[in-house]
Amino acid sequence: MAVEAEKIAPPESARGFPGRPRPALVTTGLLAPPVLWLGVFFLVPVVLIFLYSVNVFAFFPGTQGFSLDAWRNFLDGSPFLDLFWKSVRMSLIVSVVAVVAAYPIAYYLALIASKRKYVLLLLILAPFLVSYFLRILALKVILGDQGVINSFLFWTGIRAEGDPVPWLLYSQFTVILTLIYVYVPFVALPIFVTLESLDRRLLEAAADLGASRWQTFRKVTLPLSLPGVIAAFIFVFIPTTGEYFTPLLVGGVGGTMFGNAIADQFGQSLNWLNGSVLSFFLLVVVAVLMGIFARYLTIRRVATG
Amino acid sequence: MSSDQTRDDPITERRLGRGDFLKLGALTAGTGILAACGADDAPEPSGAGGTTGAAEPAEEHPPIEQEQGNLEVFEWAGYEYPAYGGEDGVLKPYIDQRGKPKFTFLTSDDQALGRVRAGYRPDIVHPCVDYTGNWVEMGVVQPWDTSLLTNFADLEEPLVTGGQIDGQQYFIPADWGFSSPLYRSDHVEPDGEESWALFYDDRYEGKISWWDSPLENFVIWGYVNGIEDPWEMTDEQLDEARDFLMSKKHLCRNFWSSQTDLDADIAAGNIWIAYAWAGSYVAARDAGLDVVYSEPKEGRLGWNCGFVLGAETENFRHAHEFVDIWSSVESAEWIINNYAYGHANTSVDLAKVPEDYVSVFHLDNPEARQEPNAHYARPVTTERRAAYAQRWDEVKAA
Repeated sequence: MAVEAEKIAPPESARGFPGRPRPALVTTGLLAPPVLWLGVFFLVPVVLIFLYSVNVFAFFPGTQGFSLDAWRNFLDGSPFLDLFWKSVRMSLIVSVVAVVAAYPIAYYLALIASKRKYVLLLLILAPFLVSYFLRILALKVILGDQGVINSFLFWTGIRAEGDPVPWLLYSQFTVILTLIYVYVPFVALPIFVTLESLDRRLLEAAADLGASRWQTFRKVTLPLSLPGVIAAFIFVFIPTTGEYFTPLLVGGVGGTMFGNAIADQFGQSLNWLNGSVLSFFLLVVVAVLMGIFARYLTIRRVATG
Repeated sequence: MSSDQTRDDPITERRLGRGDFLKLGALTAGTGILAACGADDAPEPSGAGGTTGAAEPAEEHPPIEQEQGNLEVFEWAGYEYPAYGGEDGVLKPYIDQRGKPKFTFLTSDDQALGRVRAGYRPDIVHPCVDYTGNWVEMGVVQPWDTSLLTNFADLEEPLVTGGQIDGQQYFIPADWGFSSPLYRSDHVEPDGEESWALFYDDRYEGKISWWDSPLENFVIWGYVNGIEDPWEMTDEQLDEARDFLMSKKHLCRNFWSSQTDLDADIAAGNIWIAYAWAGSYVAARDAGLDVVYSEPKEGRLGWNCGFVLGAETENFRHAHEFVDIWSSVESAEWIINNYAYGHANTSVDLAKVPEDYVSVFHLDNPEARQEPNAHYARPVTTERRAAYAQRWDEVKAA
C-alpha cells in the first residue's frame, strides 16, 4: 500500500496542480482491485463454464474432447429449454407486479410523506432484519393446507372443511407470490430515489398550466421517473430468472425454475456438461436482454439520474 | 456419429464415439500395465472374502500423539456432536480425549461424491454401502485397519462383508434402515394390498411426496412393474419409467429433499403419503399422528451406510478411534432409540427398545431385511447412474 500512497502523492514539482494527485494513477489505483476481483472471480469462471459446456473440460477425466452435442441436445426441444422460458415468464410476472406495487409506495414516500419519509423507509426495509429462511417458513404457516388462509376459508364456510385451496402452497403461484413479497422493498428504493430528486417546480408548472393531477402524473411524473422504474425492473428480473432457493422451498412440483435444474445438474446428477450449457445459456440470454433494455429503454439516464 | 443417433439415444450414443473407444482402449491397456508392474511390490490382499485385511500394517502410521488430531468428518446432519448421542452421550469420550472433530454436512451420496471429486478431502466420509465402489474407483479412500477397531467383531457379518472390495475392508457398516411409503391412516386407505403403487394413486392428488433422488423413483417403478433388476434397467425401460413418472408427477405436492421439511409437511397436513425413512415415522408418531409405515407387497427398500477413510488422511488413528466409538453398543442403542434406525452392532438388548420400533422395523428379524422381503440398494456404475439421473432431471424439468 505504501507504493499506492506514493503514487497518489507525487512531488509537487512534477505537477501543475500542487498537492493534487495525477488523475490517471488514481483511477488505475482505485479501479485495479475491483477489476482484478471481477476478472478472477467472475470472468475466469465464466470462461471455464463455457469450456465445460463444449466438453473441452470434463467432470470425469478422460471423457473430454470438443463437442457441441450438449448444446444441440439442449436447443433441440429439451425439457430444460421449456423450463427456461417458464422461468422467464414467472420472472416477468414478478418484476412487473413488484414494480407496479412498489410505485405507489415510493411515490408516497418521496412526494407526500414529507417529514416522516426516512422513518417510513426504514420500516419498509425492516423485514430484511429477519432471515429470509424464517420469512419463508412463516409463509408456509400462512399458506399451508391447515394454514391461516385455509383455516379462515373453512371458518367462513367459503371452502368445505378438508377441501383446502391446494395451489396456495407448493405451486408456481407460491413462488411468484414469495418473490414479489421479497422484492417490493428493493424495488421501491430506486423509484424512490428518482422521485425524490424530481424537480418539484415542474409539478407546480403543470398545475399552473391547468393540468389535472392525473395528467400531471401521466405527462410529467411518470416519464421523469422511468429511469428509476427501469432500474427497479432490472433489479428484480435479473436475479429472479435464475432463482433457486425460493422454488426449492415453496415451489413444489409445479414451481421448479431454471436455477433448480442447473443446481441439480452440478450437484445431484454430476452432469457438469449439461449444467454448464444451462448456466451459460442463462448468462447469455440475460446479458442480451440487458443489452436491449440498455439500448431502447435509455438505461444511461438511470445512471445520470 | 450422426445426429439421428444422438436423438434416438442421447446418453449411450453420445458417450461412445469412436474417439472415446480409442481412449477407453488406451486407458484399459494402461491400467493393465500399471497393475502388472505394481503386482510385484503390492502386499498380497488377504484373499477374496477374507475378513479383515488392512491395506498396510498399522506400524507404518505414527502413534496417535504425533497426528494432527484435527479430524474432519463429512457427515449427515443429525449425526454430528452433540446432536448424535447428546451432550454427554456416545461421542463424548472421544471428544474429551481427542477434541471435537470438525463436521461438514452431506445431503446425498451423489453430492458427497461430487464435492470430493471437486477436491474436498475430509478424513472420514459417511456414504452408503452401494457407493463404496464409486469411492474406491475414484481413488480417494483407503481400507480400514480393522485390528484397530475393538468393536469390529460385534458388527453384523453380512453387512461387514458388504463393505469389502477385493478382500479389503473399505467400508465399516454403521447405520441401516428401510425406505417405504409412510401414510397418514386418518386420511389414506390403500386400495387392496399395501403397495408402492400408492405413490401413483389418483385419489390422493396433491397429497403425495416422492423423494427427490435420481435413482429411487425409477427403482420403485421397476419393482411395481415386475422388472427383474430395477437397479440395472435398460435405457428403454428407463424411458418408459420416465414417461410414466412424468404422467403421474402432478399427483405430487412436492419432491422432498429435506427430512425436516417433509416431517413438518406431514404434520401440517400438506402431505399424506411419502417416501420415508424410519425417522419420519418416529417424528409423526411422536407428534401424535395416525401413521402407517407400509409393508408394500413388492418389498421395502433398504439402505446401509457407514464409514470410508480418506486416502490421504493425516489422522489415521484418530479416524479409527472415532469410528470405533460409532460402532459401540452404546451408539447402537442410542440410534435405535432416537432415530429408529438399525445399527450394525448386533449386541443391543432389544428389551430396551420401544416395542413398535422392533415390530415395525423388524429389528429382531434379520430375514425381513433380506431378499426377497426387502431390497438393499445395489451398486450402480457411474455411467448407469448418469442414465437414471438424466431422466430424473427431465421428469423434474417437464
